Amino acid sequence: MRQLNQNRIITILVTPALLFLSLFFLLPLAAVLGGSFRGETGGVTLAGYLDFFQDRTSLIIYWRTLRLGVLVTVLATIMAYPPSYLLSRMPARRRALLMSLVILPLMTNPVARTYAWLIILGRFGVINRTLIALGLTEEPVRLLFTETAIVIGLLQLFLPLMVLPLVGALENIPDDVIEAARSLGAGELTAFFRVIVPLSADGLVMGGTLVFTGAITAFVTPAILGGSRVLVMSTLLRQRALVAIDWPSATVVAAIMLLTTLAVNLLLRLFRPKMV
Amino acid sequence: MRQSRGLYATLILLYAFLLGPFLVIFIAAFGADATLAFPPRGGFSLHWFANVFQTSQFIESFWISLGVALLATFIALLLGIPVAYALVNFRFPGQGVLETIFSSPILVPGLVVGFAMLRFFVLFSGVNVFTGLLIGHTAVLFPYSVRVVSASLRNLDPALEQAAISLGANRLRSFMLVVLPNVRAGVAAAFILAFITSFNNVPISLFLTGPGVTTLPISMLVYMEYYYDPTIAALSTLLILFTIVLVQGAERLLGLSQFV
Repeated sequence: MRQLNQNRIITILVTPALLFLSLFFLLPLAAVLGGSFRGETGGVTLAGYLDFFQDRTSLIIYWRTLRLGVLVTVLATIMAYPPSYLLSRMPARRRALLMSLVILPLMTNPVARTYAWLIILGRFGVINRTLIALGLTEEPVRLLFTETAIVIGLLQLFLPLMVLPLVGALENIPDDVIEAARSLGAGELTAFFRVIVPLSADGLVMGGTLVFTGAITAFVTPAILGGSRVLVMSTLLRQRALVAIDWPSATVVAAIMLLTTLAVNLLLRLFRPKMV
Repeated sequence: MRQSRGLYATLILLYAFLLGPFLVIFIAAFGADATLAFPPRGGFSLHWFANVFQTSQFIESFWISLGVALLATFIALLLGIPVAYALVNFRFPGQGVLETIFSSPILVPGLVVGFAMLRFFVLFSGVNVFTGLLIGHTAVLFPYSVRVVSASLRNLDPALEQAAISLGANRLRSFMLVVLPNVRAGVAAAFILAFITSFNNVPISLFLTGPGVTTLPISMLVYMEYYYDPTIAALSTLLILFTIVLVQGAERLLGLSQFV
């Protein structure tokens, strides 16, 4: 009797949200996946995918997207690890203040955030003017609308997503453990790589997943800093759907983005270390 | 000691990289030049800030962004709080699957969600642009509301609710009078996080905005295609200051960064 009552409560609590998500989110996504396998005359076909992966331009765009994602993740790890360690050893008050500054790029209007890089990397931006003033170059160097520009913009955006889980994992390592490693004769580097890094693996995998999946699906940063010259999957989807208005091929691009993200999430879940 | 000086240097570099660009925008926004320059060459002026308020597309899209963000956040909380309560307080078969479904809108790329909704919901059903936009934002905000409210429900002492029930309150009454007031900080944190997320959203809005119904970030992108003056820098300055106030306030009151 009590069980029955409980099931009814759960149903009442969960059903509205489940209906909402099914109708407006899951169903359209399923339609995208289904649509990507539909031929022009109906029926099930892989033609859309074959067209995509046999086309040199779209293949280049796909690999570029993944390559930039890996690069951003590696650079974010290197840039975030040492300061995260320092943050994790700080007194709580100071850490809280600094952490609220870390999340600022995540919380800022994306156009505003990216616009700064336009000023810095532009033809007559901060960097080019400095280079010219120093006599290192006569003509402005092209920095904008390059892969480098996209990587720089993505790093600023996603570094916080590496710092947050890293600090979370690192602050759980007791000082005693590090002391113990040292007193047993481990040098700074040995203690770091054999004790601290393995104990923060959870945070690394978590941060890596967030940064990589964020980087391969981000839109505003590559749209502004890469433009139509350096397309990635997200800017390609916009172009096919809203500029070329080619729905079938846009559907395939969307499906590939969706499947890639899901695959990455599943893959990295396998690597997530078991809780000790 | 030498090591920790090296560590401090990496910390300073990190913050310079994260926050330095904001400084560049602030300075560029006050430049008097007709095109964007840094540092400004022709002296300083407030002209571009005035221009922000005289550009009707920014004013109109600001109100739409504000409306969508408030409404979508409210609906997401209305749907999400009961779900969070069910997930935290009961154990039932299929719970894992439900949790995955309820968090899926943040796992799927926003641009794909926007595209899917446009093609397979909005164009089919013929709902008006604002409704489509509102639904899209609500779906994406929903997981935040569940996650943040769940975290705060988990910290609540179950004895409080049991006491209310043993004193004769029914479940709804005890929830409204005992549980909800005790997790109000979590609900407020969820509200702020969801509001900011919606207010800044581009990927969903890119596909779901339409003629006459544009959000602020989208109208900024459009403006940038046509003009290369510091108006966007001035507007960005205002938005960044707005974010700093909101985030610092929320951090101080609620510890926002633990929920991100």
